[in-house]
Amino acid sequence: MPIMQLQQLIRTLDTFWEHRGCIIVQPYDMEMGAGTFHPATFFGALGPAHSRAAYVQPSRRPTDGRYGDNPLRMQRYYQYQVLLKPTPDDVQQLYLDSLRACGLKLEDHDLRFVQDDWESPTLGAWGLGWEVWLDSLEVTQFTYFQQVGGLDLEHISCEITYGLERIATYVQGTSDVYQLAYGPKTSYGDLHLANEREGSDYNFNHADVALHQQLFASYEQDAKRLLEAKLLMPAYEQLLRCSHTFNLLDARGAISQSDRPRFVLRIRGLAKRCAELYLERTTQTRDMRPETRDQST
Amino acid sequence: MSHVSTTADLLFEIGTEELPAAYLPSLIDQLGREAAALLQANHLPSRRIQAFGTPRRLVLLVQGLADTQRKPAEEVRGPSKQAAYGGDGKPTQALLGFLKSQGGSFHQTKIVASDRGEYVFLVKPPVATPTVRVLPTLLPQLIGRLRAPKTMRWDGTGLRFARPIRWLLALYGAAPIRCTIGRLTSAPATRIGGPLRPKTVAAPSIDAYHSALTRAGVILDHQARRAAIQEMVNRTATSLGGRPAPEMLSYGLLDEVTSLVEQPVELVGSFDPAYLSLPREVLLASMAKHQRVFAIESSGRLLPKCLAILDGKPGKPGEVRKIVERILNARLADSLLFGKEDHARLPLERMAAGLSGITFHERLGSMAEKTLRMRAVAEPLAEAWNLAEDERQALRRACQLAKADLVSTMVKEFPTLQGVVGKYYALDSGESQAVALAIEEHYLPAGDRLPATRLGSALAILDKYETLTSYFGLGIMPTGDQDPFGLRRAAQGIVEIAWAVHRPVPFDLLFRARSGLEPFRTAPPKDVAGAAQRVKQYLLERLDTFAWPNPVPTQDCIEAVLASPCHDLIDVMDRIQSLQRLTGNPRLLQAAKVIERTRNILKGAPLRQQEVDPARLREPLEQQLWDRYCQSHEQVAQLAGQKSYEEATALFGERFFEPLHAFFDKVLVNVPDESLQQNRLALMRMIHALYTDRIADLSKLTILQQPHEEPSR
Repeated sequence: MPIMQLQQLIRTLDTFWEHRGCIIVQPYDMEMGAGTFHPATFFGALGPAHSRAAYVQPSRRPTDGRYGDNPLRMQRYYQYQVLLKPTPDDVQQLYLDSLRACGLKLEDHDLRFVQDDWESPTLGAWGLGWEVWLDSLEVTQFTYFQQVGGLDLEHISCEITYGLERIATYVQGTSDVYQLAYGPKTSYGDLHLANEREGSDYNFNHADVALHQQLFASYEQDAKRLLEAKLLMPAYEQLLRCSHTFNLLDARGAISQSDRPRFVLRIRGLAKRCAELYLERTTQTRDMRPETRDQST
Repeated sequence: MSHVSTTADLLFEIGTEELPAAYLPSLIDQLGREAAALLQANHLPSRRIQAFGTPRRLVLLVQGLADTQRKPAEEVRGPSKQAAYGGDGKPTQALLGFLKSQGGSFHQTKIVASDRGEYVFLVKPPVATPTVRVLPTLLPQLIGRLRAPKTMRWDGTGLRFARPIRWLLALYGAAPIRCTIGRLTSAPATRIGGPLRPKTVAAPSIDAYHSALTRAGVILDHQARRAAIQEMVNRTATSLGGRPAPEMLSYGLLDEVTSLVEQPVELVGSFDPAYLSLPREVLLASMAKHQRVFAIESSGRLLPKCLAILDGKPGKPGEVRKIVERILNARLADSLLFGKEDHARLPLERMAAGLSGITFHERLGSMAEKTLRMRAVAEPLAEAWNLAEDERQALRRACQLAKADLVSTMVKEFPTLQGVVGKYYALDSGESQAVALAIEEHYLPAGDRLPATRLGSALAILDKYETLTSYFGLGIMPTGDQDPFGLRRAAQGIVEIAWAVHRPVPFDLLFRARSGLEPFRTAPPKDVAGAAQRVKQYLLERLDTFAWPNPVPTQDCIEAVLASPCHDLIDVMDRIQSLQRLTGNPRLLQAAKVIERTRNILKGAPLRQQEVDPARLREPLEQQLWDRYCQSHEQVAQLAGQKSYEEATALFGERFFEPLHAFFDKVLVNVPDESLQQNRLALMRMIHALYTDRIADLSKLTILQQPHEEPSR
């Protein structure tokens, strides 16, 4: 039986979730730490409208870079993200079915739902759920959102975040992500190994600390200005820049444990204002949701 | 009249998605306790109540539950007679409404006179209701009583629980009970097979329920499951020629695993022996905390083995083993790599140079600056602790290196190993054992572990004191449950360590060394003094929640000591304990009476004279009291100076109670002759201050408010 390539795995998940009412949106074209930052999740979880979306989101974790030497850790990797609002009762089984659709024989493995009180302090978002462990490796984060942008949610969304590469190692039976077949003749390493090395080097050694400290302040300033002007997405994009800049400073070791809360609070303040502005909009134009428009055009 | 009562067993299962391991023991415990309380309040006696639980179910078993709820007769107070009947003698709306809400009728009422007037009472007869009709409302209430540290919503019903509830099963004897919460209705069926092989099986009876679970390999009883896992771990470790690493218990791994699985199955794996060169703590953290597998040791050395407890037997255990091993090896490889990278940056002193690149706080500079401030305060602390010169040297060195491991990649990977990594790197860099241990210990206390060495204690206090003063200096203080910088814990830590080593923490001396540095260097003197006061005050407030050894001081005893001058934390604590030890001693009450009476008289009149003028003593009793002061004050002061507070207090009470009492009986203080009055007030003040300036303001003690015999003279 031919192995399922990574690009096929993505397609399989797309199809699986499309058939369950998700719109398949595209990755957001900016650096972000996780699929949660994608507007389809951050804003999708807010407000009264039902919403189902799935997408791949390349995610940047500067501190996780290992110069391509670690088979499990990367400074840039793919998350496959599903947001279901409201949460269907059989969501755990839906998720497990999606893994089976990818060709995993789950019954051969040990699978656990291990408590994880998920929190994105910078987004003012938290939820309760689990890390899903497959043979002791975390392959998915599974969360029932309770708050986003510091606001209680009208509907409880379920966020399923697959670690695509990790799941692919099970599907393909390899132990090294860089050996994964991305396409028929292209490995994951062909596509990403060089960048993983360079990216790690950049994050840990070359990213200019003074510049990024300055950038952080400028982005924050600008986000505030744009919020005043009620320009939602431009302001949110500056928040995304703040967040990534913070992660880079962290990788450079420029933020101490005790200094961290202050940075986090600054980003969270922006997230809260973005969430409030979004809700203000949706209550004004309930029937003109951006998602609906996007779909029809 | 007696009636033959029959009973049956109740089984109630709350089926959930995977409950957090840390919550499970408490949820099981609550289920049993709350069920007992609820059944009792509802007149439903039973023979035995037990609660069980696994990650996916909470189960209540009540044996011998009465089949009938017998509510005794009851009288319910209604409206007053005046409000209940109109002028025409007919019942008003108020009375009719009351009867309707209570389900009573007119002929069941009576009028009862009380001291608040006449009221209508409804006399409800005893009611017998079949238990099967009571349970559908009681069982949902029971769920509502279960508490968890964090709860969640999962659907639109507003229902909250630790994780989503997905099914309910309730059986009373052979009768299924139908109850509803949110959108769920109970059914006589349970679920087995975990998330991977989910199967709904009929449970028409309690026996059928138990045998379904047993057949599926589910061990319902938490304690039995824990014992089974422990046995598995021990047996496997023995067969590998070792025993489980003892730290696994303190990490709580056994408890955690017990709450993670309902069908435990063991799986042994190996890792590359090359990784045994890693520090033991790193290996254990990787295994226990990151992967929840047991480590095994033989003669104190770890074996390259691990033991995983799976939930149910996988179809291909060999495959699972390979993957578990691969992941553990990858984690350890990562750690080894960190160690190599870090070693290239040793000695630790060189690593410490990197601290200038880590911000401690925007307005407080880098971590390097923090360590400099710790070092500045180290001098007066070393002085107060009377450290020898070589110890002082070591303390300075430890300050310089305390935070250096924060620069290491190992600590970035394992933040909980901060300090531990520093210890290893210090030893690898040729630092002394004392310095290395101090670096490890300075993050303590953690749990009930305190620094074991004197240097570690000093360094731990310096670190926490620096944090506290820095943030307080910026005006950041904990409020309510908001304490993002861990300042409350830092203050508590100082108190605990000071008590454990029983060494001085002199507030003013330490702060003087601190005040020349940020954030005080350029602050207005008034603000600096304010911060010093707040830090001291905050530390003293921790004494209320400190885990005192016996005798645990009462609140008034702490207040009494804090009302007197406080210069040194350990001295304050000694005074508190001394007073508490005197509880019940008549001398303490005598001393307290002296303080109370002198205080009352001093409160009443302005004092313009500080010292007694012996020439102006007129009455013999006055002279006698002064003589007593002259004979005793040096001895009291001396005892207090030697910190013999119990003896000082006893002596004070013994010497002054009687003459003061006699004095007040016969001599009037507030006489019109001002010179006489002031001289007497000065005498009162000197006696009062002799004690309160040194030990405590005993007028705060509640024994003074309690009725008691006059203390014997």
